[in-house]
Amino acid sequence: MDKIKQIIKVMLIGFAALFLLSWIIYFFNLDMKASVYLKKLMDKVYDMRKRDRRL
Amino acid sequence: MGKKMNSEKLGNFYYGNKTKKRREWRGAADTWYDYTRWLANWKVMAKFMMKPANLKGFFRYRWMGSYLAVPDFVDRHTEGLRGPQLRIAHKEFDFIVEHVCETIGNLFRADPACGGDEEFSRRVVVFDENMMSQIMNGFPNLQMVCREIPVVYTPSTVLQEGVLHYIDVAEEFGLPSDVCPMPAAELGCAIDDDFPQIGICAVNCNTTCDGSLMGNGVEARRFNIPTFQLAVPIRHMQESVQEYGAEEIKNCIKFIEEQTGETFDWDHYFKCMKTFNAETKLFREWLELSKTDYPQIIGNNVALYRDAYYQVGGGRDARFLQNDREITELGYQGYEKKVLCASEVRHRAVLWGVQAQYYTAFPIWLQNCWGILPLIDMLSLTSTSYYSEDDKEQAYLDMADLYMKMNMRNRSNGGYEVGVDDLWRFCEEFRADMVIMYEHIGCKAMAGYHGIFEEQARERGIHLIWVTHGLMDPRKASRKDMRGEVNRYMRAVLQEEPLDPTLEDFADDNNW
Repeated sequence: MDKIKQIIKVMLIGFAALFLLSWIIYFFNLDMKASVYLKKLMDKVYDMRKRDRRL
Repeated sequence: MGKKMNSEKLGNFYYGNKTKKRREWRGAADTWYDYTRWLANWKVMAKFMMKPANLKGFFRYRWMGSYLAVPDFVDRHTEGLRGPQLRIAHKEFDFIVEHVCETIGNLFRADPACGGDEEFSRRVVVFDENMMSQIMNGFPNLQMVCREIPVVYTPSTVLQEGVLHYIDVAEEFGLPSDVCPMPAAELGCAIDDDFPQIGICAVNCNTTCDGSLMGNGVEARRFNIPTFQLAVPIRHMQESVQEYGAEEIKNCIKFIEEQTGETFDWDHYFKCMKTFNAETKLFREWLELSKTDYPQIIGNNVALYRDAYYQVGGGRDARFLQNDREITELGYQGYEKKVLCASEVRHRAVLWGVQAQYYTAFPIWLQNCWGILPLIDMLSLTSTSYYSEDDKEQAYLDMADLYMKMNMRNRSNGGYEVGVDDLWRFCEEFRADMVIMYEHIGCKAMAGYHGIFEEQARERGIHLIWVTHGLMDPRKASRKDMRGEVNRYMRAVLQEEPLDPTLEDFADDNNW
């Protein structure tokens, strides 16, 4: 019983932490700020790709 | 910061970078709602990326990089919204996110470079971007994919620089820079080897215009699959062309049957048209609401979504109808509570001409900055007729009618009565005192009406504000330039002050 309570307590803390983290990411627009860097990286990947350029 | 509209000074969120400083605080309930929808959208996109074919596609195709900005796209189209309008916007845009993920998923599934599902690819009929899809209502065993929509059209709305690379490629290969950027971008993408090679056959159309037709002809060299050119009449209001249009539809159906081995299924076609008619009925109710003192489903909450279900959905996807019912319910709730779409409603406007793809959130700016309600736009004022649910011969004429009157085509072509006279009729019906006239620099279709619009707006005492843009190329006229034209008119002619001064002039040239 104590072990189950312990597990539930850990899970609740885990969810609370995830919720807080997701909330911070959402409110401060951190997902989009990170995407800016990812886009720059992906543009380099796309530039490197060999293409069959023709009309 | 707060529950009331305009409580956040929205212009302060822009600080010259690609993204905004933060998301809005809209009061506890609306912010919680927006947060949960943000999570839901990320869940949809994460699920999409977990499929190996989609991950391969992400690394293979440059246009996929644009989709990294999807949450920003949703934020732009919900900027400043509260209550029912916020919920209506999310119902629409979140569903568009899901639908586009499915469409791209189908593309990559069939693509030899990604999923390599040849059997699936043999059931794919590739449709041109700017054409209606109701012909496919009779082919339930086939999959219609509008290839250019996720590749060119949507990236240009998600990112303002979404298709500039392709336009530049086309120009490097000799295309003049003063042509319409839409076929130019499509052509550039084909030249740059950035289209998935899928499908058993393709149907191209001369909608919106000959620019599309010419570009498609060159692109077809890349795709190397049998292609049918569906040539629908331009003068779609004339009785004399209707039979010809129907004949073209019959020829197209015959082509698809021959290429795929399928037979047109009339029962399935009429079932889809019943759904389409039900969607039309609800859209008519939205229009009636917009004519009242408390319009609810306006501006952004009509434009892109109407494109999606009218043209691409075509009655085949019943989820659109379910979504429409929920949106209508929200609309009536807002109407009964007399909810306003702006903190102060100063003007009622009809948006005419073709919108800028890189600034589809412009109507929201009109609401938030100047209290101008964008009641309805030209591209949404497509056919509101009910189509036959049981007569085959009539159905050919109906399909021709729909194809001739696709979104961008039905008023930019077809003559004076649909391009000019109808504008004033809608101004009267919607009790609009203002017209926001989009003018695409590279489009010749409506350019000839310029002087007529000015003269007739003056006669009617309607404020006519020209907003020039470059359709998919913001280098020709930026978002700021577009806002500047409205600002100048509001200050100089109407001598009004903005509802949110921070939105009058802010730096978003670098923004997504």
